Amino acid sequence: MKSFLKPSLAILFAASVFMTTGCGNDDEPTPENEEELITTVRLHATPQGGGNMIMATYKDVDGPGGQAPIVNGLQLAANKVYDVRVEVLDESKTPAEDITQEVKEEADEHQFFYQPSTGLNLTVAYTDQDSKNLPLGITTRMTTAAASTGTLRVILKHQPGTKNNSVNTGETDVEVTFPATIQ
Amino acid sequence: MRYLICFLLCLSGLPLVGVAQDVSASPSQGCALVLSGSVTDHEDRSPLIGATVVLEGTQLTSVTDANGRYAFRNLCPGTYRIVVSYIGYTNEKLEENLRSSKTTNVRLHPDALQLHSIEVTGTRHQDQPIQGNSQLSGRELDQTQGQSLAQALERMTGLSSIQTGPSIAKPVIHGLHSSRILVMNNGVRHEAQQWGSEHAPEIDPFVASELTVIKGAAGVRYGADAIGGVILVEPSPLRDSVGTGAELNLVGVSNNRQGVASAMVEGNPAGLSSFSWRLQGTLKKAGNSKTPDYYLANTGYQEQNFSGAAGWTREKYGVEAFFSRFDTKLGVFAGSHVGNLTDIRNAIKRERPEPEAFFTYAIDRPYQNVTHDLLKLKAFYRTENLGRLNLMYSRQFNQREEYDTHGGSERPGLRFEIVTHNTEAVWEHKPWGNVNGSMGVTYMYQFNRYEGRFFVPFYQSHTAGLFWIERWDRGKWHVESGLRYDYRNLEAKLFRKDTPQKTGDSDLDNELLTPTHRFQNLSGTLGAIYDIGPHLNLSVNAATAWRSPTTSELYSNGIHHGTGTYEYGNANLDVERAYNFTATLAYIQNQRLNGEVSVYRNYINNYIYQAPDTVPTLTIRGAFLTARQQQADATFTGLDASVTYQLTDHLLLGGKASLVRGYNTSANEYLIWIPTDRFEGNLRYSLEKLGAQETFTENFVSVSGMRVSKQRNLPDNYLARDYALPPAGYFLLNAELGTTLQLGKQQIELGLMGRNLLNTAYRDYLNRFRYYADEVGRSITLRVSIPLNF
Repeated sequence: MKSFLKPSLAILFAASVFMTTGCGNDDEPTPENEEELITTVRLHATPQGGGNMIMATYKDVDGPGGQAPIVNGLQLAANKVYDVRVEVLDESKTPAEDITQEVKEEADEHQFFYQPSTGLNLTVAYTDQDSKNLPLGITTRMTTAAASTGTLRVILKHQPGTKNNSVNTGETDVEVTFPATIQ
Repeated sequence: MRYLICFLLCLSGLPLVGVAQDVSASPSQGCALVLSGSVTDHEDRSPLIGATVVLEGTQLTSVTDANGRYAFRNLCPGTYRIVVSYIGYTNEKLEENLRSSKTTNVRLHPDALQLHSIEVTGTRHQDQPIQGNSQLSGRELDQTQGQSLAQALERMTGLSSIQTGPSIAKPVIHGLHSSRILVMNNGVRHEAQQWGSEHAPEIDPFVASELTVIKGAAGVRYGADAIGGVILVEPSPLRDSVGTGAELNLVGVSNNRQGVASAMVEGNPAGLSSFSWRLQGTLKKAGNSKTPDYYLANTGYQEQNFSGAAGWTREKYGVEAFFSRFDTKLGVFAGSHVGNLTDIRNAIKRERPEPEAFFTYAIDRPYQNVTHDLLKLKAFYRTENLGRLNLMYSRQFNQREEYDTHGGSERPGLRFEIVTHNTEAVWEHKPWGNVNGSMGVTYMYQFNRYEGRFFVPFYQSHTAGLFWIERWDRGKWHVESGLRYDYRNLEAKLFRKDTPQKTGDSDLDNELLTPTHRFQNLSGTLGAIYDIGPHLNLSVNAATAWRSPTTSELYSNGIHHGTGTYEYGNANLDVERAYNFTATLAYIQNQRLNGEVSVYRNYINNYIYQAPDTVPTLTIRGAFLTARQQQADATFTGLDASVTYQLTDHLLLGGKASLVRGYNTSANEYLIWIPTDRFEGNLRYSLEKLGAQETFTENFVSVSGMRVSKQRNLPDNYLARDYALPPAGYFLLNAELGTTLQLGKQQIELGLMGRNLLNTAYRDYLNRFRYYADEVGRSITLRVSIPLNF
């Protein structure tokens, strides 16, 4: 009995050690891009009645943390009306992914909000709607008054099932602040 | 046969370093009484060989010899409740007031109902463990069916749970949880993604026949990391008598309309008595939970679990294989899915969470899919001269998939896979005089990989350990001492873009970094029990254990969804070391009043904790709270007390209290997220037999009230560290009802449990979702348990 048992136990033990160490996995991670990263927010403002298109950019290519974002503020002329289009991109991928398109597809669950700081003589009106006639905010009309400086905060909310034209509901997908000058 | 029972007992008691011994209490002055006698058949007076005689409430068991005789030696004077059981006979219970040595003969009546059934009556007897511990088994464990492991453990003093909504709960021992607590599932160190408090242990509670919690640093036997305590989840041993048995358990819960069905079948074939097997499976499905005022959206879950075991056991050797799979899909409470700081503040301000929810079983995004496989092989070999050698190998595979709200793609936003191999060899030597003990060597290899967004890097770790524990019993003294050495090598693999040093330059950022850490250290324990008198004993225990930082504490880097925090790991973290002191005074085996008081202090050097940074992390999604891993010296001090008083033969009054204080001694302030004071009072009416022909047996009704205080021991400037102040204290009224129904030859066990009967709206400080919603309201659980024998 003993002569039979001892080797078999020894083999079992050796095998288990082998199994343990033999499974050494030399797997390595592959550089993968985050599925839902947003790196860039752009505002394209076209003055009504002609003039050069104006662009403001907030860009953070390496995502949260790491390098600080690059921000180019918004410079508008006084007493003018602009047709504005917002663009949300993931520029960590090549080619850059246009996330505005996804927002448009899920318009019933999303809304952009524009919040000029007090003192900045700017009013923003929605010019687009979702299927339920609630504002979407990919396109807006911005009207400037007298020269002033301040900031413009742009917020994109994801509000599945709770969208009601309020900024206080849902989850924030984008929240950036552009320095703004009206001159 | 006797050896076989011993073997199974030893196996189930293996982690407790128990070695089955001949039955005798500790010899001491005044405790030298002998209680002996014979057990015979009532009809023909023939001796019953192998009948079990138990002194209820003690660890003492005697098995009758070839002449049907039993004996307990070295007993102290006092009242003992004797329970005699034998297969095919009705159990006999009697009380003996022992003033001098006595002979008590017992005649058992054949039990017509049990004649065809074969029962395994292996009451385990083992040395009283020295370190503070609590157990849950039998009827009391059955009462917890349908609850999660952490909820079941809350019945013990000193235990609470940290929750993430109604579907995820993790046990907390003396204020410590997650990676500071080891869960030993069927003798195997449970290895999963336990770094987060929102990952509940992937264990089917129906597998367990006993839950034991060792409170305090228990690193010597179970390995480094167990600085808070150890939870032992033990299945019952495989069947050791010929026959086939089965059990069906059904549970229904009113609050979330949960249904559970769990079945077990086991056998020991007649022609092959060395071979035993068991199959077990559980199905569970629950919908949205409901607070007193509203439903909690997307809090449903479902589970499909199964396990199988087979063993071949002889007197001198045995082998056993075990496999289990745990598979769950659980919804993450929709109201907790918030983004940046502003979103969280908006959510906290809301009267009720959004969106408005109704009852449904459907699980929507975000949800998690978790699978955990365990394969375990073990063997033992026993020799007369040396003792017993135990070998064990196990492989665990844990896969976690997290599906985010966004994307809609079929792929999970994040998938982890963690594979763990464990090998262990333990030698339990033959007693050397009064000294019993064991020594062992363990080795663990672990590999973690992920797909999707970064949270914890790829890593592999090798951990090796050596331990030696001895126990000395003599007279009124029981002393235990142990030492352990562990070595861990950890290599992480991550891209620079996933570290705080990322540059924005894609070539530099895609460079693979492979930082390596080596940790080695000693763990030790020294404890003693002193029997002050026959009904009073004092135990003291000192232990030291250490924990190496987890990979998430070292390298996590990203937004922690649901908590609105940007978490930075700290690659320079050092090991944590705990010095744990516990003293317990137990007043036991008394007719009316019994109780236990335990005090403890746990000093933790280099305690790793998350400290908020005053500067929020600004991202394109707005501002997030910044949290960094830091180390400081901390103490955890507390008291556990429990008392019972037998008012009448049927009425038992009980009380429990658990208090703990966590203190950061480096910064001279209280720690946050420490369990609040808990008090529980309980009145229980039990009636052995009821109804004509005793249709109802083991009947009981119990009503209990639990008071949980508001946490008032807080650091200054609390709101700089947490989003909201601790919630108010609360009181919950609970009740339980149980009976065993005899229908012809079939027994059916029934249980009814009501939780939060007053439908109190409350929030618990240790629930991570307390910012967003109330706890669940009134809930009634009905349990049916049907044992079957073929």
